Amino acid sequence: MLFEQLSGNLIQGLVLGMVYGMATMGLSLIFGVLQVVNVGHGAFIMVGAFTALTMFQAMGVPPVLAIPMAFIIGMSLGMLFYYGAVKPLVSPSGIGIRKLSARGKGVIAGSVVGVILLMWLTSGFFKVNIAIYLFLGIVFLYAIALYIYGGRRQDKAAELATLLVTFSVGVILEEVVKQLFTSEARGYNWDIGKIDLGITVLPYTKLLAAMGSLAIAVILYLWFNKTRAGMAMRSVVEDDVGARVCGVNVDWQYALSFSLGIGLTVTSGVLLTMFIPVGINPYMGGPYTLKAFVIAVLGGLASPYGAFFGGVVFGLLENGSYTLFANIPGLEPFAMTRFFSFVMLLVILLIRPTGLLKAK
Amino acid sequence: MGKRAVLFVSVLLALAMAAPAVHAAGHEILVGHPATLSGSYAKAGEQAVGGVKAAVDWINNTRGGVMVGGEKKMIAYKVYDCESKKESVTSLLERLITTDKVHFTYAPYSSGLTLAGAPVAEKYGVIYMDHGGASDNIFKQGFEYIVQTIGPGSSYHAGTLEMVRKIDPAAKKVALAYEDSEFARSVMDGAEAKAKELGFDVVFKRTYPAKVTDLTPLLSDLKAAGAEIVIGGGHFQDGQLLNQQMADLDINPKLLSLIAAATLPAFGEALGDKAEGVMGPSHWEYGVTYSEAGAKKLGITWIGPSQDEYVALFKKAVGKDMLPDYHAAEASAALLSLVLAIEKVDSLDSDKVRAALGDLTFMSFYGGWDVDDTGKQIGHSMVDVQWQKGERVIIWPEAAQTGAPVYPKPKF
Repeated sequence: MLFEQLSGNLIQGLVLGMVYGMATMGLSLIFGVLQVVNVGHGAFIMVGAFTALTMFQAMGVPPVLAIPMAFIIGMSLGMLFYYGAVKPLVSPSGIGIRKLSARGKGVIAGSVVGVILLMWLTSGFFKVNIAIYLFLGIVFLYAIALYIYGGRRQDKAAELATLLVTFSVGVILEEVVKQLFTSEARGYNWDIGKIDLGITVLPYTKLLAAMGSLAIAVILYLWFNKTRAGMAMRSVVEDDVGARVCGVNVDWQYALSFSLGIGLTVTSGVLLTMFIPVGINPYMGGPYTLKAFVIAVLGGLASPYGAFFGGVVFGLLENGSYTLFANIPGLEPFAMTRFFSFVMLLVILLIRPTGLLKAK
Repeated sequence: MGKRAVLFVSVLLALAMAAPAVHAAGHEILVGHPATLSGSYAKAGEQAVGGVKAAVDWINNTRGGVMVGGEKKMIAYKVYDCESKKESVTSLLERLITTDKVHFTYAPYSSGLTLAGAPVAEKYGVIYMDHGGASDNIFKQGFEYIVQTIGPGSSYHAGTLEMVRKIDPAAKKVALAYEDSEFARSVMDGAEAKAKELGFDVVFKRTYPAKVTDLTPLLSDLKAAGAEIVIGGGHFQDGQLLNQQMADLDINPKLLSLIAAATLPAFGEALGDKAEGVMGPSHWEYGVTYSEAGAKKLGITWIGPSQDEYVALFKKAVGKDMLPDYHAAEASAALLSLVLAIEKVDSLDSDKVRAALGDLTFMSFYGGWDVDDTGKQIGHSMVDVQWQKGERVIIWPEAAQTGAPVYPKPKF
C-alpha cells in the first residue's frame, strides 16, 4: 500500500519535476551568461500561460502548437527587455548618447510637451481610452530617457541594480497583462484522455508537457555542445575578453542568450498550463519564481541542463516526501514537504556547494 | 483680521457640530456606515452600500418609514469610506457616533475590519450591525452591541451535509481538504462538527499551503481514503486547482463542494465540463425563491421587497446595471431587522432595540434571520449552488431552490 502510493507519487513527481526543470532553464541560462538574476522570471512564465490560453480560446490552437509561438514571443520580449533595460547596465558599450547640445535638449523637451498636448487633445476627439495614451506616453518618455542616459557606462552596474531592473520589468508585465485580461483566474479545457497506470492516473496532457520539456532540454544541450553558435555563447561564459579577442561579438551573444533565456521561460509557461490548465492570472508567477530559484541553485546555478536535472530532483523530493510524511500520524504532510525540501537543499549545498551539476 | 476670523470659524464649527445633533432629534433615524468603498474590499463595499441604499429606499418610499413614538420616521443613511483600513474604521465610527450622532451603526465589510470597529461601538453603547464579518471569532469577545446578519463561517456546510443525509442516508465517508488559512479552518471545523453530528465519518482532513501550485500528492492520498463526500477549498485559485487535479486523477466522489470558488461564474468558465455537478455554499444568490407566501406557510414574519423588486431598487441605488450579490443582500437584510426591532419596542434606545433584535425572527428575500445571545446569526441558512450544464443552479435549501440537486455528481 505504502509502496504503491510512493511509486505513484514518484511518477507524478518525475513528470512535474521535468516541467519545473524546463521552467528554470531560462533563469539559469541568463545568470550563467550575464550574471543577471531575473527576479521577474515568474512574469514571463505567466506570459507563456496567457499565450497558450489565448491561442486555445481564440483560435482553437492546441497548446502543443502554441510552443513555437510562445518561443517567438519570448525571444522578442527578451530582445526588447535586453536592449530596453538590461544592456545599459551590463554591456560596456551601452546604447544611445549621453551628451546633448542645448539645442538638442530643447528639441526633445519641445517634442515631449507637443506629444503630450497632442494626446490630451485628441483623446477627447477620438474618444480613445485615456489609459492607452497614458501607457504610450510613459513608454515614449522612457524611450527618450533611454536614448539620452542609456549611454556608455564606465563600469558594470551593481547586482542590486540588475535585480531592480528585472523586478520592475516583471511588475510592468503583470500590470500590462492585467489591463488586457483583468486579474480573474482563468483556465482552458484541452482534454485528450488519460492513462491509468493502476497506481496513479496521468492525463496525456501532463505526459506531453513532460516529454516536451525533456525534448527542449535535449535540444538545448545539443545546441550548446554541437553547434558553433552554441560554442560561441559558451565561450562568453568562459572568458568574455578572450572571446572578444577571438572575434566573438560579445554584445550580440549577451543579447542572444538573454532573449533565448526569456524565450525558454515563456515556452515553459505553455508547458506549465498543459500540466495545470487553470488558475491562469497575471500574478500566477510568484510561486514559480521561488521554486525556480531553489531549483537553479540545486542544479548548479549557471547550468541550464543542470537546472533541468535539479527540477526533476525537486519534483521527486516534494512528492516522494509527501507520501512518507502522510503515513506518520499527527503530521500535516504538506507543511512538512516544504520543510523537508528546503532542508534537503541545504544538505545538498553542504556536500556540493556548486549544485548537482557544475557550471559549464 | 485675526480675532474676527477665528470667531467666525468657531461659530461655523459650532454650527456644523450642532447641526447633526439637532437632526438626530428630529424626524429621521440616522444610520452610519464606515464602508469599504476603496482599498482591498472595494467591490464588496460597493455592493454593501448599494444594498443599504436599496433597503432605505424601500423602507422610506414603499413602506412609508418606520413607526416610532406614534410617528412615521424616515431613515437617513450616512456613509464614509474607510478605505478598507482598520485605523479609519475606528476614527470614522467615533465621528459617526459623536459628531453625526447616528442612532445605529453598520460594520465595514470583512471579519478583520468588523472586529476592529466593534470596541468603539461597545464604548458608546451603539448597535453595530455586522453584515460582512463571518468569523466565529467575533462573537467570542463578549461584545454586547454587535448583531450579525451574514451566516457564521462554521455553518457554511450545515445545509450541504443535511442535504446528503436526506438524499443518501447510506453515505458515510467525508473528506476535508482545504487551504491552511483562518477562514477555511473555521469553515472546515464547522463542517467536521456537523458531519459528526449527522453520523458521517470524517476519513480525511488535511490542509495545503496558500498559493499551492500542485495538489497531486494530497489528492492521491484522498483518493486512497475512498471518500464519498469531498468538501474543500479556500480561495478561488486553489479551488480551481483542486477541481482540475481531482479530474486529472479520476477521483469521483458523490459530492464535491468548494468554498469561495464554485459559486463564482468564472469558475465554470475556467473549468468547463469539469465543473459539472460541483457545488459550493453561498450566503445568498440571485434567483433564490424566498417569498412572502413561503414565509406565511412557515408562520414567520415577512418584511421587505420581493427579489425582483429588490434587484430593481439595487440597480437604482448603484446607478448601473449590476446585479446584487450576497454582500448587498446581507447589508439590506440587516437594515430590515433594525426596522422590525425598532417598531417592536417603539423606541430608538440602543439597549431596548438590541434586546428586541435578540428575540427577533423573520424572513425576507435574503432568507431567514435569527441571532443567538451573543448576536451571532443562527437563523440564516446558506444556499448551495451547483453547476448544471454550465449554469449555476440553487439546489438547497428546498425553500430557495431553482432546481433539483444532481446527486451523485456526474463523473469527471
